[in-house]
Amino acid sequence: MKKPLLVAFLLLTLILGACGGGSLEGEEVTITGALIGEDQEGFRANIAAITEETGIIVTYQGSDNFEQEIQIQMESGDTPDFALWPQPGAVVDAAKRGMLTPLEDLDIDLDEYKSNFSSYLVGLGTVDGVIYGGANAANLKSIVWYQPAEFEARGYAVPNTWDEMIALADQIVSEGMNPFCFGMYSNGASGWLATDWMEDIMLRTGEGVTSYDKWVTNELKFASDTVTNAATLLSQIMHTDNYVVGGTDAIVSTYFGNAQDPMFSKDANGNPGCFMHRQASFIPAFWPEAAQAGVGVETTVFPFPVIDESLPKAALGGGDMWGAFNDREATKVVAEYLLSASFHEPAAQQPNNARLSAHTGFNNDLYSKDINRILGTIITDALAADAFRFDASDLMPPEVGAGSFWKEMMNLAVEGPGYIGTAMDNIDKSWP
Amino acid sequence: MKQNTQEKKLFNFGISTLALAIFPLFWFLSQAILFRELTEIVTRNVLVLIAIPLGSTFIFLLFIGMNKLINFAPKDSRDVLEARMFVGPSIFMIGLFLFYPAVRTFYLSFKDRYSNDFVGFENYVWAVTDAEMITTIRNQVIWLIAVVTLTLIVGLIVGWLTDRLNKGESFFKSIVFMPMAISAVGATAIFKFIYEYRPPPLTQIGIINGIRVSKGDNCYNNRIIDGEFYGFDDASCVAPVGWLQQRDLSALPIAETLQDGSWLSNMFVNLPVNTLLLMVIMVWMYTGFAAVVFSAGIKAIPAEIMEAGQIDGASEIRIFRSIVVPYIKSTIVVVGTYMVVTVLKAFDIIYVSTRGDLETNLLAVKMLDEFSKYRNFGRSSTVAVIIFICVLPVIIGTALRERDNLDS
Repeated sequence: MKKPLLVAFLLLTLILGACGGGSLEGEEVTITGALIGEDQEGFRANIAAITEETGIIVTYQGSDNFEQEIQIQMESGDTPDFALWPQPGAVVDAAKRGMLTPLEDLDIDLDEYKSNFSSYLVGLGTVDGVIYGGANAANLKSIVWYQPAEFEARGYAVPNTWDEMIALADQIVSEGMNPFCFGMYSNGASGWLATDWMEDIMLRTGEGVTSYDKWVTNELKFASDTVTNAATLLSQIMHTDNYVVGGTDAIVSTYFGNAQDPMFSKDANGNPGCFMHRQASFIPAFWPEAAQAGVGVETTVFPFPVIDESLPKAALGGGDMWGAFNDREATKVVAEYLLSASFHEPAAQQPNNARLSAHTGFNNDLYSKDINRILGTIITDALAADAFRFDASDLMPPEVGAGSFWKEMMNLAVEGPGYIGTAMDNIDKSWP
Repeated sequence: MKQNTQEKKLFNFGISTLALAIFPLFWFLSQAILFRELTEIVTRNVLVLIAIPLGSTFIFLLFIGMNKLINFAPKDSRDVLEARMFVGPSIFMIGLFLFYPAVRTFYLSFKDRYSNDFVGFENYVWAVTDAEMITTIRNQVIWLIAVVTLTLIVGLIVGWLTDRLNKGESFFKSIVFMPMAISAVGATAIFKFIYEYRPPPLTQIGIINGIRVSKGDNCYNNRIIDGEFYGFDDASCVAPVGWLQQRDLSALPIAETLQDGSWLSNMFVNLPVNTLLLMVIMVWMYTGFAAVVFSAGIKAIPAEIMEAGQIDGASEIRIFRSIVVPYIKSTIVVVGTYMVVTVLKAFDIIYVSTRGDLETNLLAVKMLDEFSKYRNFGRSSTVAVIIFICVLPVIIGTALRERDNLDS
């Protein structure tokens, strides 16, 4: 008599169990990336919020050797659920090799995604019209660091245009000091600072964003007038006597992280080693501890000067992008969270956070640091106006963007302005 | 009778395939499947813990099983089979982890960057025409010649001189040997501090630049004397130099004295300073090793021969040249061979210091760059093959010498 009851009970548990499969409690999702240190702490705080809300155990592991490790993992098939690459070019590369899942298969609303992160950013993670990459954080490169107190004491005004900057530089030289800090040594990546300068100049000369986009695909050759002109302007900074503290030797020998140190150090006459340093938003992490405390107040930024005033104000930046390796239910849920406006909030409130959300709907007032509010506003404004552009060298084929472009910029720094033509030709030749 | 031997041969063959091929294969497969299943059940940490005892038990059982199977074979052929049993697994392992990858690398070097299509010799043409590759090969040649020669010469001199010491020989030898105990990464980090450059007016923390900028009157490496600050940004002071970024001598003051245009000074101006400075690290690391090995060789020279030389009135240098060097010739060849292979594999010094920037690259770093930085598997494999080709004469030479030794 009891048997049918038992059977019914068993059936019921089976059915319930099957339905209960909808809960993702306890599922594990792994993310790997190149963020380490403070950035890793911030990212972990962000994903901890996902775990809290959904019960999915999301873990992030950063490694300073990430890009090599993920290559090997992709070769062997032992991939994490998500990889957060420091540059979108790697996402495209992985997608072309068939490693990544399109965002459409992750049930992402693509139109909303495009309007939140700007169609330009989304386009960077797109292969043949299929969107693979999810934008995450952005950083700003179009800024020049300076110390307002030193400027005021000498009656210098913040330059708004290139000509004003050159005039200021000449004035500083005539007063026996050096205007610029410039160091582009970087273990295995030396030269990228000069490519950043080139990109900032490119965005502000020629046809602005339009010629910039053509340049990225080599439709506009390096040997063209626009690019050669950009190199000439850069060479003006690098090679004018006394413009850069330490001269050519300092440019090629100084580790980029230490390049700004002369600004914080006074010589025998009480003058700083330099007054202006064009470097991205992440640089304060490399400053001496005493200087770090004054970021945003004692040492702050002005936007990279306008060169051609008829062009819209552009911003050059970098940013990371993730790709998903599968379309499990838990992966879909986490992807949704990664693209939400509130994703970056826990990290933004951390005292040492240096990462800025690339979501145009992000509330910039939430950043706990003054400098992040300034930078975040520039980024979201530029994104909303579609005048934000990614680092061109990151978007070029690696042989160029991480090879000949860097290398020839180093050569240019050593050889002087007479080398510009050769450098441009060599880069064009190395284009695959 | 003939029928019998044929049968015996067949039986032997069956046993040996069973014992040396089918059984180990089955055994390895079952182990692989077991571990694959285990990774699903237990966490990684536990897996590592059980993998070590379980793995060694597997190997133990593998040999017991093979031995049991061999015991079925007739007595007279058992010896041969047992020998094969012990050599077999290592040949298998070498084949799987060394030979197979080498062959595959060679195969991939003829394919394109994604290893999809055959491109013929395109990658090899690139390897000998690309400007950066030519510089890399040039550096590798300089390293091979200079590092091996310098290590051998300095090692010989140190080994010979320490041997002449009455007291404290082991103390001096251990001091010279000590760099060998440091990893190449650590040694490079030490030398990076020696060559370090900071833009003025920062304090120079590299010892060479520190000494340079404090030369001359009123030049100080940022010191405060009697409350007064003294720096080195005066025009009369020597400017610091970024040593590891100097591709030639042209940026150094010495270049001015070499501007006479003769071919000798032209060659001298083109000295790759950074490459030479990086080679110093390797010479510093391996001199001690060479010296200790040579010193052991010198100790083995019979005292009578040395005495005979001394009685005949030969000078120290003459004894060194005519007795010591010929006597330890084989040791020199062995150390030289070891150094050649070490230099060809040299990777960490470049990777940690300049990462190949400004014409300091070596083949091993280039191979990794092509793989992970430019993601070009074809070119990366080609560089690997080139390294292998360079090592080949050394391997063959060593093998030939070993055979000669066995013959005599």
